[in-house]
Amino acid sequence: MIDLQFLGLLNATLQAATLLFIAALGELIAEKAGILNLGVEGMISIGAVTGFITAINTENIVLAAIVGVLSASIFSSIHGFFTVILKQDQTVSGLILTILGISLSSMIGKSYVGKKLEVKIYKFGGANEPNSVLEVFLSQNLIFYLSIILLIIVSFIFNKTLFGKRIEAIGEDLKASNSMGLNINKTQFVATCVGGAFAGLSGIFLTLSYVPYWTDSMTAGRGWIALALVIFGGWKPLRTAFGALLFGFLEALGPRLQTYGFEISPYLIKITPYVITIIVLVVLTILKKGNTGAPKNIGVPFFKENR
Amino acid sequence: MNNYILSKKLKTNELSTFYSFLFGLLIAFFIGSIILFLQSNNPLEVFSLMIKLSVGSLNSLSNSLNKAIPLILAGLGISIINSVKLWNIGAEGQIFMGAIALNLVYINVTIGNSNLFIFILLISGFLGGSFCILLPALAKTLFGVNEIITTLLTNYIVFGLTIYLVNGVWKDPNSLNFPAAAYIDKSVYLPIVTSKLSSGFLICIMFTFIAYYLKEKSVFGYELRIAGGSELTALYAGIKSKQVAFIAMLIGGGFAGLAGAIELLSQTHRVSTGLSQGFGYTAIIVAAITGMRPIGIFLVGILFGALTIGGSVIQTIGVSSYLAEIIQASTLFGALIIQFFFNYEIKKVEND
Repeated sequence: MIDLQFLGLLNATLQAATLLFIAALGELIAEKAGILNLGVEGMISIGAVTGFITAINTENIVLAAIVGVLSASIFSSIHGFFTVILKQDQTVSGLILTILGISLSSMIGKSYVGKKLEVKIYKFGGANEPNSVLEVFLSQNLIFYLSIILLIIVSFIFNKTLFGKRIEAIGEDLKASNSMGLNINKTQFVATCVGGAFAGLSGIFLTLSYVPYWTDSMTAGRGWIALALVIFGGWKPLRTAFGALLFGFLEALGPRLQTYGFEISPYLIKITPYVITIIVLVVLTILKKGNTGAPKNIGVPFFKENR
Repeated sequence: MNNYILSKKLKTNELSTFYSFLFGLLIAFFIGSIILFLQSNNPLEVFSLMIKLSVGSLNSLSNSLNKAIPLILAGLGISIINSVKLWNIGAEGQIFMGAIALNLVYINVTIGNSNLFIFILLISGFLGGSFCILLPALAKTLFGVNEIITTLLTNYIVFGLTIYLVNGVWKDPNSLNFPAAAYIDKSVYLPIVTSKLSSGFLICIMFTFIAYYLKEKSVFGYELRIAGGSELTALYAGIKSKQVAFIAMLIGGGFAGLAGAIELLSQTHRVSTGLSQGFGYTAIIVAAITGMRPIGIFLVGILFGALTIGGSVIQTIGVSSYLAEIIQASTLFGALIIQFFFNYEIKKVEND
C-alpha cells in the first residue's frame, strides 16, 4: 500500500511543474532566437484572465483555451514590436509588459473575481482518488500530456531540424546568420509570439485547472520562476523539464512539510527555487568559464548594417 | 528593387527624451480613455477627479509627494547602476531589505537622542539595500554572472524573507489577522514638514542632487561613464572597471534601501508585506523614461506618485486602481516609439 500523502505530493508536484514548464519552454524558444522577454508574468496573467472569462461566459473549454493562447500571443507581440522592429531595450520592454499585463488583467477580470467555474479540462483517467503512482499520472488533465508532447516537439526541432538550427544560429551569431540569408526580424518576432502563446497556455492551466478561479496577481511570481528555469536548464528543453519537476516539487512540498513533522518554515521553502537558481547560475558560470549555455546574442538588437 | 535599412543617428536632439515623454503621456491618457470608455465611464470625469484628489489640495499634494519618495530614490539608484550599463531589477527587494535592516537595528539598539537614532536607522536602511545587492554585485564583477537575473531573483528571496519574518519571529501578537511586525515608537517617526508632507521628501531632494553631482559632475561619475564604455578605453584611462561597477551597484542598492527605510519611518511605521507596492518596478519605468537623468527622475517620480494616489482614489467611484499602472506603463511604451524616430533613421538602399 503506497502512502496516500506521497501520492498527493506527487500529484501536486506534477501540476505545479506543468504550469512552470510550459511557460519556461516558451521563454526558451524566444531566448534561443536572441529575444529575452521579461514579460512572462504579464503574459501568463493575460492568458489566464481571458481564458477564464471565456470559460465562464461560454462554458466551452476549447474556445477558452484558444482565446487564452491567442490573446497572450498577441499581447507578447507588443514586445516583438518594441524589440524586433523598433530595436528598443529588451529589459525595459519586457518589464513593462509584465507591469502592463498584471494591471490590465486585473482590470479586465475585476468583475470575475470569485466566480465559480462550471467546466473542467478533460481528463483521461476517471479516478478522483488515485491509489497508485500510475493512477496519479493517468489522472492528470490534457494540458499535462500536451506539455510532454510540446517537450518532445521542441527538443526535436532544436536538436534534429535545420529550422531549429537556424533559430539557434540567430541567437548565437547575428552577423553570420544574416550573411546566411536568414530572415532575422521575422524569426525573432515569431519566436516572441510563440513564447507568448506558451505563456498563455500556462495561464489557462492556472485558472481553468490548477487553482481554478480568478483573482488579482494570482500568477504570484511563477513567471519569474519560469525565467529562472530556462537558466537552470541551460537553455535545453529536457533539462528545463527536470528543473520544472524539482521546482514544482518544492512548491508542492512547502505547505505539506509540517504534516511530515519537519520544523522548517513553509515560507523559507518557498524561496529555495530562487536561491537554487542563483547558486546554479553562479556555479555554471564559474565551471564553464562564462559559458552557461546562454545564446550569445540575447538582448542584442539586430541591424542590417551590422555586417 | 529598393531595400530599407535602419541606421543609428550620430547626433540626437538634446530634448528628445522630453518630447518622447510628453508624447508617451499623451498616448497613455488616450489608451486610458479608451479603457474607461469601454467600461462605460466618462474619461474626462475620471481624469479630473484623479487630478483633483492627487494635487487639488495641500493634503492630497503632500500624499502625492510622499508617494513619490520611494519612486525617486529607487529610480536614482537604478540610474547610478545604469551608468555602467548594468540593470538593477532588484529595487523592490532592496526596498524591503532596507526596511528589514532598519527594524533589525531598531529592535537591538537603543539610543536616547531620537534625532541621532533616526539618522542611524536611515543609514542602516541604506546599508540594508547595499547588502541586498551585494551577492549580485559580487557575482557580476567576479564571475560575470548576468545581473538582470540575479537582482530579479533576490526580489523574491527578500520578499519570502519578509513573509517569514512577519509571520514568525517578528510577528506582532497585537496585529491579529494581518501578519506584520510590531509598530515602531512615535519618537522615531520622520517629522512632518507641513500638512502630511514627510521630511523624507527633503532627504529625497538632497539625494537627487547627490545623484546628479555623482553622475554628472564628480570624478567618480567620469569613471562610471568610462567603465560603462569599452574595456580598452577604461584600460587606457587606468580605470578599474570592475571595482567601479561594484561600488556603483552598492550605492544604487543603498538608494533603494533608503527608500524602504523612509517608507517605514514615515508611512507604514512597521514591516509588513504591504510596505512596498511594486515601487521598485515602477521606479524602473521612471528611470528608463527619463533616460536615467536624476533631475528628470525627480520630476517624473512626482508625476507618477500623483498618478498612483489618483489611481487609488478613483476606486471610490468603482474604477480599478490599476488604471494608474496602465497609464504609467503605456507612457513608457509611447515614449519608446518616439525615441525610435529620434535615434534612428530609415535609409533607402538601392540594390544592384
